[in-house]
Amino acid sequence: MISAQTGVLDQVDGSCKLQCGETTVICSVTGPIEPKARQELPSQLALEVVVRPCKGVPNTREKLLEDQIRGVVTPVLAKYLYPRQLCQICFQILESGEPEDEYNVKELNSCINAAYLALIDSGVALQSSFSSVCVSVLGSNNEILVNPTQEQLIKSDSTHILALEVGSGGKKIQNVLLIESNGDFTEEIMFNVLSRAEKACVEVALELRKAVEDKIKRDFIWKQ
Amino acid sequence: MNTLIAPGDKLDIADKENVVIGPGVYCDPRTQEIRPVNAGFEVIGSTKKNLSIRVDHNSKRYIPAVGDLVVGLITGSFSDSYRVSLASFSSPVTLSYMAFPNASKKNRPSLKVGDLVYARVCKADKELEAEIECVDSTTGKDAGFGLLDGGMVADVSLAFSRELTFNNEYPLLTLLAKNAQFEIAIGINGKVWIKCDDVKSTLACYRSINDCQSHPSAEHKFIISQHFKAVTNSVQ
Amino acid sequence: MAKEVEIPAAESKFVIECLRQNLRLDSRKFDEFRSVEIELGDDYGDVTVTMGKTKVHCRISCTITQPYEDRPFEGLFFISTETSPMAGPQFENGNNTGEDEVLCSRIIEKAVRRSGALDVEGLCIVAGSKCWAVRADVHFLNCDGGFIDASCIAVMVGLLHFKKPDVSVSGEQVTIHPVDEREPVPLGVLHVPICVSFSFFNPEDAEENIKGESNSEICIIDATLKEELLRDGTLTVTLNKNREVVQVSKAGGLPMDALTLMECCHKAYKITEAITDQINNVLKADATARNQYAAILSSENARES
Repeated sequence: MISAQTGVLDQVDGSCKLQCGETTVICSVTGPIEPKARQELPSQLALEVVVRPCKGVPNTREKLLEDQIRGVVTPVLAKYLYPRQLCQICFQILESGEPEDEYNVKELNSCINAAYLALIDSGVALQSSFSSVCVSVLGSNNEILVNPTQEQLIKSDSTHILALEVGSGGKKIQNVLLIESNGDFTEEIMFNVLSRAEKACVEVALELRKAVEDKIKRDFIWKQ
Repeated sequence: MNTLIAPGDKLDIADKENVVIGPGVYCDPRTQEIRPVNAGFEVIGSTKKNLSIRVDHNSKRYIPAVGDLVVGLITGSFSDSYRVSLASFSSPVTLSYMAFPNASKKNRPSLKVGDLVYARVCKADKELEAEIECVDSTTGKDAGFGLLDGGMVADVSLAFSRELTFNNEYPLLTLLAKNAQFEIAIGINGKVWIKCDDVKSTLACYRSINDCQSHPSAEHKFIISQHFKAVTNSVQ
Repeated sequence: MAKEVEIPAAESKFVIECLRQNLRLDSRKFDEFRSVEIELGDDYGDVTVTMGKTKVHCRISCTITQPYEDRPFEGLFFISTETSPMAGPQFENGNNTGEDEVLCSRIIEKAVRRSGALDVEGLCIVAGSKCWAVRADVHFLNCDGGFIDASCIAVMVGLLHFKKPDVSVSGEQVTIHPVDEREPVPLGVLHVPICVSFSFFNPEDAEENIKGESNSEICIIDATLKEELLRDGTLTVTLNKNREVVQVSKAGGLPMDALTLMECCHKAYKITEAITDQINNVLKADATARNQYAAILSSENARES
């Protein structure tokens, strides 16, 4: 389902191109670098998140995405290790895979996973690993679909994104970083969604770990 | 082979007493929990007294640490110090006029903006600007530090530059030495300065170092010979 | 103002010294263009162009809007070239007022839009009230020099590859046919301009060049980022396959003589020809791959052409 490649850009410190179904995003991380005076925080790492849409100019939709991604990444960064420094995280949506004027779930989901791999690639310290999954609830019997296609997304009654902090190589869930739900749903559906999404998140975490292992092998290729 | 480890994994150590933590490992100030913060190989070393643990990982962005030998670029000069860049866009570090051999109030060093220096990091607190020195503070001699004149700088990944510095067995420099005579200064900040007698050999060395970091060491001999062949056959 | 990449004096001296000995850092010849890699996405008008380490993505999109009052028969066409820190930390987000950024977007604008590469009259649906607005979003992913050349290729391939939904007009009634209902139609591309950038270096001191006695300036094609940062002058020639010069842009820098300019145009033409052929081949291969059932579905007999 997810295919990811790290180290695709060489002007930045870390990068990742991630494809999840119909959605493709590319993420770059630069840091820790010298911030501009207005970005500087006296005791911790400042974060600059930029999301650029596939078509057209960035507007409020992208600002919302930026804010949601910042919310996921901030608690995970070991930000007190880099006081008065800046970390730039940039996203470029290459293929949206959803109607952009109504949805942002698939983009957000891919961006969060891409951010994890790009941060790992850059060597910026992270307190733990994280992964995200996008779920849609569909039809009269409330079928739960993980990583829905564009068609399923449009037909769905509600969409949910769950991002979790996972430890011990994806065996342990430590914290919830983001739950974002949209549409009509009941409490019962919500709990079903959460338990299903939790399992899916762990699967995604394992998938991402494979990409991390690939990266480490490539990093030390000259040792062979 | 050491085990692969990613942030959030459990470290392979039993007790938390007497553990010396190295790069890639972080001690949470609130919970006092020790955990890995980078993805790489877990390296555990033990001495009689204590246990040391680090995560051997690769990255591109250098963060100063005391004792590191670095190649820096002078980007500015003030009344009593130079401003030196160890990596583009990173926070600059200071090189005091007093951190040179035979330094005195009257004896000012003669480095210019744009010059390269080989130096040692002598202060690196994360809250403060780091400082470097061009003198061995125990003997007061230059110890090989100072201006790097001419030559060329190759940018390499940080793990590769560490390997070149610390692993004397690593065959790359020996292989290069078979093809050309050169002077070299390896900075832990991922900058390798190299200078041969002529431009062509320097260029071949530069290309070889750049290429070798993305190929297994078995292929290095071939890559180097190809680059040297290419420069000698080029038309004048 | 964002910070610049820092280059040591020794390095710039070394690069010039290499050029004097007919060598480039990346083992290319002086008049060698990097090999261009063109990747097309699943959607129409989704292109990634890679030249060495330089990577540019271009996405074409279209919407229906009202034409300008003074040009009721023409559709709209925009090219957006905004940089972000993804291409390199020297670029600031949302700040495209730097000299290089402005120059880059102007040259692309002139090469593609003002040269009439896209037939804007073909975008008109109902004169004076409805027309297509075509938008090319250029995304710079990785900067290793040659942004102008790469983005021009990306925009042109995008325009050639893109298809807009078919519309039918009856009176004032306009119907847009969804892509799954009726085969979408390609844009009218009138010619394919290709930019080739030259960089000049002056190995002697500045005075020598003004007097112009020795003409020893070095001219290289398709500079990498390092070469771009160190160059003394630049020239961008835009040509198409019909040997038409679309633009010659030289904004300051090292003075050059007329013969060098002619020589550059000739070199650029060869590159233009090769790249245009490559673009056509890529598009043809993509069309056949997309249309694998066409042969089965077609009821016509194959005609000898």
